[in-house]
This record gives sequence, structure tokens and C-alpha cells, in this order.
Amino acid sequence: MNQPVQSRQLTLDRIRAATPSAAKDSSQLAAAYAALPRAYIRHGSLTAQARVELMIQRLREYDAEVVECTPAELPDAITAQLAASGRHRFVAPSGAPPEWMVTSAWKITGLEWTLDHGLDIDEIEKAEGVVTAATCGIADSGTIVLHHSATEGRRVLTLLPDYYLCILRAGQIVETLPEYFNRCQQPPALATYISGPSATADIEMTRIKGVHGPRILVVIVVRDN
Amino acid sequence: MSHATPGHVSLDPKFAPTFPQAALIMLRNPQLRKNVAHAIDVIQAKRGKLVVEKTDWQELRSAASEIRFHVLDNLGAYLEQFEARCTAAGGHVHWAADAAEARQIILDLLREENATEVIKIKTMTSAEIQLNPFLQAAGVSVYETDLAEIILQLGDEDPSHIVVPALHINRSQVREIFARTMGLKNLSDDPKELTNAARTYLRQKFLTVPTAISGANFLVAETGTVAVVESEGNGRMCLTLPRTMISLVGIEKVLPRFQDLEVMLQLLARSATGERMNPYTSLWSGVTPGDGPQRFHVVLLDNGRSSILAKTKERQTLKCIRCAACMNTCPVYRQTGGHAYGSVYPGPIGAILTPQLMQMKHAQTLPYASSLCGACYEVCPVKINIPEVLLELRSQVVNQERKQAGRFFDPMYLGLRVANLIFATAWGFHAAQRMGRIGSRFFTRKDGWIHALPSIGGKWTQTRDLRGLPKQTFHQWWAERAKGGK
Repeated sequence: MNQPVQSRQLTLDRIRAATPSAAKDSSQLAAAYAALPRAYIRHGSLTAQARVELMIQRLREYDAEVVECTPAELPDAITAQLAASGRHRFVAPSGAPPEWMVTSAWKITGLEWTLDHGLDIDEIEKAEGVVTAATCGIADSGTIVLHHSATEGRRVLTLLPDYYLCILRAGQIVETLPEYFNRCQQPPALATYISGPSATADIEMTRIKGVHGPRILVVIVVRDN
Repeated sequence: MSHATPGHVSLDPKFAPTFPQAALIMLRNPQLRKNVAHAIDVIQAKRGKLVVEKTDWQELRSAASEIRFHVLDNLGAYLEQFEARCTAAGGHVHWAADAAEARQIILDLLREENATEVIKIKTMTSAEIQLNPFLQAAGVSVYETDLAEIILQLGDEDPSHIVVPALHINRSQVREIFARTMGLKNLSDDPKELTNAARTYLRQKFLTVPTAISGANFLVAETGTVAVVESEGNGRMCLTLPRTMISLVGIEKVLPRFQDLEVMLQLLARSATGERMNPYTSLWSGVTPGDGPQRFHVVLLDNGRSSILAKTKERQTLKCIRCAACMNTCPVYRQTGGHAYGSVYPGPIGAILTPQLMQMKHAQTLPYASSLCGACYEVCPVKINIPEVLLELRSQVVNQERKQAGRFFDPMYLGLRVANLIFATAWGFHAAQRMGRIGSRFFTRKDGWIHALPSIGGKWTQTRDLRGLPKQTFHQWWAERAKGGK
């Protein structure tokens, strides 16, 4: 395609002609960027306990189900949630720790687990639920951050199943969005920020939970030892 | 093309009626006005609460405004950086000087894929270049996946808002559209049931259509990242299931660094839908093996943006992050809804964007579609001084008109030239006041109001009353008061 190559030059020429005060080189550009005002709140002021409580409160405002547990209680907590969901077929990312996938605790049987070692889309679509870890939680907006590591799974895994159980460690929770960005000095190639279950308000601004993504979001907050 | 469809409100400024003509039709549609007012009241109430809770709102606005200005100042450098990083991450970057070129690039990419179907995430930019009718005419079936966009597509309706484009359609109208086009006779008008119908309708498309088109909320120069902000998960579906993804993005959408998202994301959802954060934000750079589309294209669209960039006062228009807070707060939009603006970009931002993206002659009345109350500037998360740009565009409209020879004896211009002479001197002004008081006496009723003026003045009194001139001017009153020794 010849034309677009010319269009690239044409567009850049037009832009350059329109911006005579542009920085002359990369160091000038970096200096101009560094001088931008950033007087907004970057660091939160809550105690660790209050931060976790705010996160839980925000998640509940999004109609997410939230429970807390200690690290030792986690397998039981997972099992209890899955049992309560009334679902049986679950998927988990390839790097999910084996202790999550309890099938017999509390004498509950019939929980079926599949790890995502390159599952077909159809197999993920058939799963009734998914369990993953997360990278970060942002209390201010009740946001769960996924960077899609081996314990968080590829993007489609937390999208197709109707039920999503996310395991968030208390130490991963920050108060403000800038604190999260401060933590990712190496920006991720992929990221998904999840704030509550999928929703729409397109019909008369009535909020409906669950359009295409999971309709049910459950979060287990694991307290630090 | 959509504008050719009979009975359609044209959203192509080349063919749309003028704002006053189109607005009159909307004002006579009580159902539409009720739907629009209801939706706007809900969003406004939610937004208001969340903005109050954010104690650093003004600081965030200032930061966002300065970041966006900085980007525009250095747009060339940041776009090249984005292109380099996106390419290094496995993406392909294309440049389109105008709408026709963007359409052709996208069609060529789809042909390379042998695509006969494409799923779409809501994108205003594709509406701007009228992509859907073009692709349909070329034999590609286009499926919108955002709930509001499905309602519009199936109902053959036009968008009237940039965030909730079907807000002018109520639940019973949606029920009628879905029942008719999806063959669901027993569908109720419960929004939950309607949403479920859309979910079922689209599921198979998501799982089978191999090509998708999106817009983008932001590009990040530092990392080559593309950001899509959404609520329903239709975006995530399109971003993860197909094998090929094409993102059409205006050249102004770039941000310098990944960290700048911390400012924009705090402002965008609160301003747009009155949420602390939208349910889903997706960020990706290029292609990731084993996760999502393995072929990824970005089409960077100029289409008039670089000429806006060249103008001092108008440049700020390009800071826009498309949150729609300006239309939600606008007293004019509230009355007329979006279709009256004759463009896919309605409301205050549309009133300044459309005349600049198009030739002004196609959108001459839009800069006047405002009371200049300033509410849009106050709510704008990136501090676009919309009234300032409106005034600038008005002066351009007037300057254009004045040059037309036929306008020399136009009563308005004649009147303004006379006014110019009168207002130039104090004695002229005082004389005019005296004459005005005498003259207006004939039209002022006992209640002190003028209800009807003759000839050209009737244009004013047709729709509103005019206060009669007081017996005394402020100057006279002040002089008498001074004499009285007070």
C-alpha cells in the first residue's frame, strides 16, 4: 500500500508545521514532561486495616461478594465459596497453586478442575467458573488489577465463565490509583482492570449486572500473617 | 450511506439541517425529551456525588489539562514513539490522512483476512468516518457489540450521545426493536431481560467471528499500549477472541507515559458514567503470544485534526477524552437531545468539534447552539474552555458571512454597522437611549414588558418577552444621587 506511506509523512509534516513550539530533542521533551504539574493525591493516608476495609466496602458496592481469611484458611475458603455457588466445573490458570484445587474438603465432592494449559475456547466456555490470583487491588475505586501472569491466567479465562472467584492478598491492596502505577515501574504488556461485575446502564440508565463478562464476582481477601 | 436512508436524522454535517431547524423537530417530540432528561438526570446525580467525594478533583483536572496540552505541543514526537513501540511489540501502524483513506485501509486489511464478518467495540471515530455503511456496501457484515450500539443498529437508529448513544430510546422502544429483529415475540420490557436477549444474540458472534474493530480511549507513547475503557465485557470479548484486531484511533489520543493513565482513569469514568471506575479497562501493547489476537493493526486517523492543532484557541478541542460530561450538563442538549446537532459528536464538544473537523460551511449554526453559560467548561475533566472556542468560531462564521457581497444590505449587518457607529461615542449612545425610550413606549404594555415588536424585532419577541426600558438610565440615577449629596 503506497498511499498510506505518503500519508504518514503528510500527517507528520502537517503536525510539525502546526506545532512550532515542540521540543527540539528528547532531553527537552523529557524536561517539559517533568515540569507538568501533579498536585493530585498520590499517596493514601489510611492504615493498612482501613485500606483493606475500604477495598471490601467498594467491592460490595459493586455487588461483589467478599470474604476474608488467613493464608491457612484459604483452601477451605475457596471450597466453601465454590460449594455455595452451586457450580461444579471450574478452570484455573496454569500457574494456580495445587492447594487451591481442593475437591474433598468439608466432604464436598464433585468439584471438577481443569488447568489452562492452552485450553480451547469451547472448553473455557463450558466451565461454570474460574479462580485466579491478582496483581493488585485499588481500594479507592474497588478495582482488581490483572497483569495476566501464570497465576492470573490469560485474558479470556476470566471473561467467558459466568462466575469469577478472585484471590487477593491484603498486601497487594493499595489505597490510590497512583500508588498502583508507582508499583509498576515495568509497565505490563497486558493488563485488565476490573471494577465489579460486567454491567450496563444503556437502557434507561438502569444498571444491569452481567452482560458479556462474568455475572458473579467473588473476592477472597487473604489477610497477611 | 446512512444519510441517504429516508426518514433518518442525518448525522452527516454535509447533509444535516441547521441546528435551529433540527432542534425544532426534537422540541416537538415529548417522548424523546423525556427519555433524554431522565437519562441525563441519573448520570448527573451520580457524577455529582463522586466528584464531591474526590478532594483532589481540581488538581486532577489541572494535571490532565497540562498533560493533554503537552502531548498536543509535541504530538509528532509522541506519535512516532508510539509507532516505534507498538511495532516493536508486534503491532502494525497505519496512517490515514482522511476518512476515505482510513476506510480503505481497514477494508484492505479485512480483505487480506478474507473477512466477511466483523465484530465491533463502540467507537465514535468509526462513526465519524462512516465506516459501517462503507463496509456493508463492500460486502462485509458489521456487528456492533455494545448494547446501545446493538439497539441502534437493529433499530436503524442514529446515536444521540457519545457515551450512552441510545439514551433517547426507552425500554418499551428497545423491547419493540429486539422483539422485531430477534424474533422474540414474548420479550418483556424489563431491562434485565432485554440485556439477556442481547447477550444471547451476540455470544455466538463473539465465539466465531475472527476479526474485530475497536477504537481506543488512549494510546501510550512510552509503551505502545492501547487502552479501551468499557462496561459490558463486549470490549474484552472482541479484544481476546478474534485472531485479528484493528484499532482506529484519532492522532490526538496519545499520552506520553504509562503512568499518565493514573490521571485520566480517575477522571474518565467519574465524568462519563458517574462511577468510581468503569467495570473493565483493557490495556495491551502489540501482540502477546498465546493471549488474544495474533495480528494487530492500529490506524491513526488525522481527518482534520492537524488543522485544528495549528490554531491557537481551537487547539484545546483536541484535549477531549470523550467523556460526554459537557453534554450531560448542557441546558441546550438537555432540551434538544443529540440528533439536532447533525453530527455524531453532539453537545457542546460537538458544537466546537464538528465545525472544525468539517468545513465550517456545513456546520455554521453549531457554534450558536449554546447559551454560553459555561457549565461545560466547569465540568470538563481536561478543562477545555468550550465557550471560548464557541466565541472564536462564531467570529469566524460572521467573518465568512460578511465577505459575501449579498450580505452588505442584510438588515442584521446593516443594523450592526449602525450600532457600531452609535456605540463609538458617548453622545451618540445617550441620544440612542433617549430615542429608544421614546420609541419603545408604543410597544411597552402596562405590565412593563414588551410582548411584540414589529419587523425584524419580532424575531426576538416571537419566542420571548422583552423588558421595557426603564424611565431613567443608571447614569442619570447616579448623577441625581450625587447631587442629592448622599
